[in-house]
Amino acid sequence: MTDPERARRLRDRYAIVGIGQSAIGKVPGSSALSLLVDAMANAVEDAGLRKEDVDGIVSRGPDEAYTHHQLIGQRLGIDAEFSTTLDNGGASQILSVALAVMAIDAGLCDVVVCGYGRDSWSRTHRSEAKRESVSLVPEEQAAKEFGPEFGLFGATAMHAFGARRHMALYGTTQEQMGAVALAFREHAMRNPSAYIRDPLTMEQYLTARRIVEPFGLLDCSVPVDAAGAVVVTSMERAKTLRHRPTAITGFGTFNNLRGWYADDHMTTTAACKSGQKAYAMAGLGPKDIGAVQLYDCFTYMVLAQLEDYGFCAKGEGGPFAASGALRMDGALPANTSGGQLSEGHVEGMLQILEAVRQVRGDLPRERQAPRSDAVLVSGHGGHTVCHSSLILTRA
Amino acid sequence: MTTTAAPPIPQPTVESAPFWEAVAKGELRIQRCARDGDFFFPPASRCPRDWSTEWTWEKLSGRGTIRSFVVFQRSYHPAFREALPYAVAIVELEEGARLVTRLIDIAVTDVRVGMPVAVAFTEVAEGTTLPLFRPSR
Repeated sequence: MTDPERARRLRDRYAIVGIGQSAIGKVPGSSALSLLVDAMANAVEDAGLRKEDVDGIVSRGPDEAYTHHQLIGQRLGIDAEFSTTLDNGGASQILSVALAVMAIDAGLCDVVVCGYGRDSWSRTHRSEAKRESVSLVPEEQAAKEFGPEFGLFGATAMHAFGARRHMALYGTTQEQMGAVALAFREHAMRNPSAYIRDPLTMEQYLTARRIVEPFGLLDCSVPVDAAGAVVVTSMERAKTLRHRPTAITGFGTFNNLRGWYADDHMTTTAACKSGQKAYAMAGLGPKDIGAVQLYDCFTYMVLAQLEDYGFCAKGEGGPFAASGALRMDGALPANTSGGQLSEGHVEGMLQILEAVRQVRGDLPRERQAPRSDAVLVSGHGGHTVCHSSLILTRA
Repeated sequence: MTTTAAPPIPQPTVESAPFWEAVAKGELRIQRCARDGDFFFPPASRCPRDWSTEWTWEKLSGRGTIRSFVVFQRSYHPAFREALPYAVAIVELEEGARLVTRLIDIAVTDVRVGMPVAVAFTEVAEGTTLPLFRPSR
């Protein structure tokens, strides 16, 4: 564990002051870059700032391009004091916010726009081969040994290894994973911009087409064309802007780089140490958190993270979800915009936006979590081993 | 679409070439650090534990247990369409290393975490042998 004193210095000193998203779903004629530029422009507008105020850009690089942040700046017409793309998979989006805080704190820039966009729906539907492989990984980056020759393909299988082991160790059931999918769908049905908004029953969940068991189709997040963005600045400046500031109270990262198969990483994920660091910076614990936006690439990952963040004991994630805890009226409303399982998968970016909306507290009553003064967001990815945590509170 | 698509063939790196050369001879060999005695995998230029560059390619028993497994019910590659459903497992070898493999000679519904398995060198295409695994007693 690193020195919590150093991290505590940053507590509540920076804020998210603007959020923006693009269209979500099948967006013909869009690109990852055009979606992201839309989301960033919307976020700056939401903050009540002008283009001239933005002097920093942080984005995860897309799957297939180099120098992404330069292309973003070119499209937005911004020469930046600080600009970079980073590479931490689904953990990149929270890492972008953390890096923005660090860059502002170091005096390198003042107002940073962070965002991510992906044209996942379009790219996985371009050809029959793409529809079959559903891979967003460029061919030259795909594994060439110790995987494909054995028929192992895709992120679904990697996470399914974790789900299977969790089931074997702790008795986790398909229905308990289904409780995650059902709760998030209820939330999506109240979110007009969610991509999937049809009612979902446990029967439909259990009988959905099998993909890579133990996962069926409804254990998997939804590929969409979409982007999201946030604007980060100092708390002093935030207090002069349009919205009540959303304080960045804590963040943490951890990376199980020795691999998903190593140690117990498949069942005790990097969320554990990433979360401890975020809690330490924030001076908060699981009991202080009113709602969560957990990285839900697959249902199982929500169960593992509920345990890793200390909302329940290791192995109890399944019963916790099945108790109804994740519903809007439950003990810990989760993924209140529908999550990646229903709203749409943008590598965790939309979960940061939703956390800000919850903390602002100005959502329609049926979408507002009862306790939303402190919301935890998680990011998970890379080769299933990178993790980031973010705690936002009402300033 | 043709169902006779060629299966993906492993493309060894400088580091992994000895692994595949051993497999072609019907042997499962992975690196063992000469200093700390650790078996490590995937192949690397240094032992990840003590960064030693002194290691040997040690022949393994080929026995292990299933640490986890998944069952592919959906095709991701034309070469595997005919094989559906098939089980892919992470096998923990007796020597401690963990490998991905495909399971054979067992119904996918009979596979269990913790089940003992043994290597079964199988020629999956002309000139390509893979270390698949099957149940053992």
